[in-house]
Amino acid sequence: MEGLWTTQVGSLPKPPELMKARTDFARGRLPQADFEAMERQHTRFWMEFQNDLGLDIAVDAEMYRGDMATYFAEMMDGMEISGLVRSYGNRYYRKPIAVGPLQRVKPFTLDWWQYAQSLTDKPVKGMITGPYTMAEWSYNSFYDTQEEFVLAMAQVLHEEVVALEEAGAKFIQIDEPAVSTRPEDLPLAIRAMAVVVDGISATTGTHICYGDFEAIYPKMLDIPVDVIDLEMANSDYDLLDLFARQAPFTKRLAMGVVDVHSHVIETKDQVKAGIYRGLDVVPADRLYIDPDCGLKTRTVDEAQAKLSVLVEAVGEVRQELGLENA
Amino acid sequence: MISTVPSNYPKIANRRGGQTLRRAISSFDRGRISADDLAATADDVTVEVIAEQERAGIDIITDGQIRWQDPVTYIAGGLHGFEIGGLIRYFDTNTFYRQPEATAQIAWQEPILVRDFEFARDHAARPVKPVVTGPYTIAKLSQRGVYDSLEDLVLDTARALNHELRALAAADPALIQVDEPAIVWHRYKSDWDLFRQAMDVLMDGVGAATLLRTDFGDATGLPEFFALPFQGFGLDMVQGEENRSLVPQFPDDRDLMLGVVDARNVRMETGDGLLQVADWATQFVAPVRLSLSPNTGLEFLPRETAYDKIENMARAVKKAQEAVA
Repeated sequence: MEGLWTTQVGSLPKPPELMKARTDFARGRLPQADFEAMERQHTRFWMEFQNDLGLDIAVDAEMYRGDMATYFAEMMDGMEISGLVRSYGNRYYRKPIAVGPLQRVKPFTLDWWQYAQSLTDKPVKGMITGPYTMAEWSYNSFYDTQEEFVLAMAQVLHEEVVALEEAGAKFIQIDEPAVSTRPEDLPLAIRAMAVVVDGISATTGTHICYGDFEAIYPKMLDIPVDVIDLEMANSDYDLLDLFARQAPFTKRLAMGVVDVHSHVIETKDQVKAGIYRGLDVVPADRLYIDPDCGLKTRTVDEAQAKLSVLVEAVGEVRQELGLENA
Repeated sequence: MISTVPSNYPKIANRRGGQTLRRAISSFDRGRISADDLAATADDVTVEVIAEQERAGIDIITDGQIRWQDPVTYIAGGLHGFEIGGLIRYFDTNTFYRQPEATAQIAWQEPILVRDFEFARDHAARPVKPVVTGPYTIAKLSQRGVYDSLEDLVLDTARALNHELRALAAADPALIQVDEPAIVWHRYKSDWDLFRQAMDVLMDGVGAATLLRTDFGDATGLPEFFALPFQGFGLDMVQGEENRSLVPQFPDDRDLMLGVVDARNVRMETGDGLLQVADWATQFVAPVRLSLSPNTGLEFLPRETAYDKIENMARAVKKAQEAVA
């Protein structure tokens, strides 16, 4: 039997020299060609790391993205970017604003996906932010209703998903972290996702984090994707209890087994224990193992250590269960 | 009719030189400036945002909560018994707060907001209202820790904050505002009986004019909401649209603060639209008891948009005042 594939949610840390290059580029002190060469160099670094580690499904590491909503908005027609708003502490970001009809005028991630895929034999996930979250994390100065805004966004993102599939992506993840924040909007998020994945035959997934899962479970199983990716380690796997209590988890599950907000590196035994808890609820052939969320807030060393423990733990569990992946 | 603001004001501006506080916090985090240096910068920015609110034409202002990291921890961190933990989402927003955990019995130890209030008043030409996050919201958004029941945590927090309100009242502000968004959050309304008890404990013997403000939801389904022991009530008319059904029954002897300007979107309100709402409200509430406000804290907007929105609102209020006169 196959099962327990290893993967990642998306982002990996940008090393300090790349962060500095981003600032320099933004201030006009670094030519675009030099900056992009650096982004490619660090993408290559992470692709090689994932190869050496033997991750089953790789990510492109998102060296080229800042914020997960603003990155896409900046490349779309119909969106502008606001002044700075605070998210917490001393952290600020620029928030997108819908100011006209949304249009995809160029690919958002396709070139980076192709570059990443050229560096590995393992499948690289296509990875975009979903329509509900994009709209929810933007201001709206144009559409009459939030629903119109979300569905227009879904159409634009659908075009990117089609392009990724045509380029050969076998896995496409459409992240919707905001879905758990306002349970009454779940039906809208489901409709929007149906627009995004319409006619797609690649394996589709969505990552949801934070929130109020009591209020959206089991209804969230109606989101029309194959895999739902959830953080588990940082809440001591209490979502698994919710599934056991409320209704069986009927989709494929990608389960976070290392906490991305903590400097502490989990031990192999902790991670194995987490995997076995997941196996109590979802069988191995429907279970993917990954970090709770993108690792971009960790240092390069911490991210590498966390991923190494993850892969090692999965390897041992596979052996204990006699799983053999192709 | 007057204009007012709910609570916080954006801490940095996008113009050149508008980010002094952000830089100071960053320098402080790296050990390059002292806590006193940082506090002095926070004072400077407080003076700046007070002037900005006054320039926009706002009648009752706040200190902008420039020193607050979020609506929960500035108050919780000033009480005995809470330890501040990890980041967690604040309601349905794309902002976060550090979640407190009760690690000992909650108690008041010293004034949290009195110095801030006095500083703001000394630097303001218009009345300043201190704003306290209420005990129910603080307790509900915290980890219970050593407490077995939410009820005990809420009531101990209410007793602690009663001391704070008394200390603020002694400083003689024109108005003290208590913010309790959690009670109108749809999933928490079942705590209504506990909330009522907590407000009685909180307000016991507080000799000042007080206003209870809510946001992120509506107060429908909370029986006799306006019988709570406050002189005024603040309602979110944008995200809590259902609040419209409560205004026709608003009691004659209470003040009403209507959150009509959308502080979570940059789309500018029209002057006419605001005047229509004011007009509608004065059918049920005497103009002298009515104030217009943004629906929630202005930090959800870039500084410049926040300013434009409150200036636009203040202009509409002036027009409404003239119409009444």
